[in-house]
Amino acid sequence: MGDLDRLAMYTQMVRIRQYESRIMQEYHADKSPAWDIGAGLIPGEMHLAAGQEPAAVGVCAHLKKGDAITAPHRPHHFALAHGVDMNKMTAEIYGRTGGLCKGKGGHMHLFDPENHFSCSGIIAQGLPVACGQAMAFKRKGTDNVAIAVTGEGAANQGAFHESLNLAAVWNLPVIFVIEDNDWAISVPKDASTAGASNADRAAGYGMPGVRVEDNDVEAMFEAAGAAIDRARAGDGPSLIEIHTLRLFGHFEGDAQAYRPELETVNDRDPIPKYAASLKELGELSDDQIAAIQADADAEVDAAIEFAKSSPEPAPEDALLHVFA
Amino acid sequence: MVRNATVGIIANPASSRDIRRIVARGPATTTNDKINSLARLMEGLAATGVSRVVSMSDAGGIAQGLASIAQKATASHWPELSFVDQEISHSPTDTINAARAMCEQGVGAIVVLGGDGTNRLLLGETGDTPVASISTGTNNAFPRRDEPTVVGFAAGYVATSTVDPAVCTYRAKSLTVTAGEESMGALVDVAIVDGDRIASGAVWDAGSLREVFLCFAEPDAVGLSSIGGHLQPVGRDEPNGLHVQLDATARQRITVPIAPGLIRELGIASVATLPPDTTVEVRAQAGVISVDGERSMRFAPGTPISVTLNARGPRVLDVPLAMSHAIQTPTTTKGEDTHG
Repeated sequence: MGDLDRLAMYTQMVRIRQYESRIMQEYHADKSPAWDIGAGLIPGEMHLAAGQEPAAVGVCAHLKKGDAITAPHRPHHFALAHGVDMNKMTAEIYGRTGGLCKGKGGHMHLFDPENHFSCSGIIAQGLPVACGQAMAFKRKGTDNVAIAVTGEGAANQGAFHESLNLAAVWNLPVIFVIEDNDWAISVPKDASTAGASNADRAAGYGMPGVRVEDNDVEAMFEAAGAAIDRARAGDGPSLIEIHTLRLFGHFEGDAQAYRPELETVNDRDPIPKYAASLKELGELSDDQIAAIQADADAEVDAAIEFAKSSPEPAPEDALLHVFA
Repeated sequence: MVRNATVGIIANPASSRDIRRIVARGPATTTNDKINSLARLMEGLAATGVSRVVSMSDAGGIAQGLASIAQKATASHWPELSFVDQEISHSPTDTINAARAMCEQGVGAIVVLGGDGTNRLLLGETGDTPVASISTGTNNAFPRRDEPTVVGFAAGYVATSTVDPAVCTYRAKSLTVTAGEESMGALVDVAIVDGDRIASGAVWDAGSLREVFLCFAEPDAVGLSSIGGHLQPVGRDEPNGLHVQLDATARQRITVPIAPGLIRELGIASVATLPPDTTVEVRAQAGVISVDGERSMRFAPGTPISVTLNARGPRVLDVPLAMSHAIQTPTTTKGEDTHG
């Protein structure tokens, strides 16, 4: 397992949070009328991952060049933690030609072949893809791994079970990471899922299933490190479910009237909690907190500026870079 | 026999899901396994005439699953089932609050589903209320491996006073570890480990172990208590405990299961009897304190750490002993009306 670099993990979490917070501002800045998701500088729906940083940071701290991630509709935190270029990613979110997919994909369809990162708005769609990537790694004889990220609601999809089955049968180097943020859009888990923990479901497929409570980045770091080491060693797939926190709505514009615990959500924010822990350990000072935040502000502002200055695609570009 | 006897149930939804599923070969006791164990427990309780069961509330699906079964016609003979009215925090506090509420209600026994960590949470909370445990954890040194149906019988016989709690329960030992101003309790072991990581909690890196204090040490145990079990066994009913100091370079070597399927060779620097009510200072200058196999507290250089063995654990129901007494009791023999 790799060394624990607390300062690097904290910095990455702050960077992601700043990104999600600024995208939220940008998304709403010129959305008129507010309910028209097609209006404004950032078209389409927007699903932000503020609060879920520990999942991405704890996993990606162990990844190396060539490892793959498939993420769901809420992908930014894993993309940034995995090294996807922030400028190109932001331009894609703005629908500009400088984006990862030349503006054709938007925030739910970020494809970065260089970093083996992809995501999809189709629930659980990334899991079979991750199995395919893992099969390729295995056949090539590399020790790379594939990370399949999904939410707890997606674990009720057929693709989830088919993927776990295939990964187990073929002993694939894939790690299924489930972000349990309590809400599948507006549906609580107890109304949709037989069995409270998806870690239990791993047992049915003969693979280890771990649940990380408390949205704790270091607990996630340890669990992910163990699972990734296991996969690299040829011992097959694992499943890790982290009980995380959706700090914002399911989508931007979601009033979250269905959410009785809304008033206490900010109290469970993992970043101030981790900062306090690092300060207690003497590994983080107030000056460092300010400097890390300033760096994140500057990087995100620059990415947004890059996106805004990138040209919009011409209508005829719709016929380019497509299969049919 | 006591009429209107009540039994409490505490089932930890989080047990058996930590990193030891990967780094060791820890068993997976699923939520549905736990619910099934509770259903078997309820059958045993029903058979002994317990009229009411109060269960911990949780957000892990156990309470919901048990309530769902209780509503079915096939469970119509079960004791009346209710749940502790408590705020759910998704933390160990839920277990502690449930135990307190049950004791305030005067339950005749409490049945705990979990491992060593779950049982530890009841330290100081249950007074003289008999506690029976069903193993659904990882190491399970403290809870015996009794079938839940039979635990239901035994807990029911005690709660209904069919058998005398004084003859089939014993006071468990416990350890108190003090770090500066703070202290914690343990039912099986206190360990001092290197480093400053709490992270996933479970102790599985044998190389990090420096000192282990044990309430009891059984040769057939899994977990940190197996270290003492392989060196100098100590029974649950003996007044003493054990103190082991480890050193990777020591000549004395033992090979023990520190988790299910995870066997490690350890170097032993010293082994000493741990007398009751005697405070022992910890040598390590910095590190992490683990209680019952879970890394729980960091301590900085210079923090004085001490450990004391005492007899302040829960009053534990000895299931085989309770059953032995029960079958000699006229009201439990065939042909008698056991429902009062």
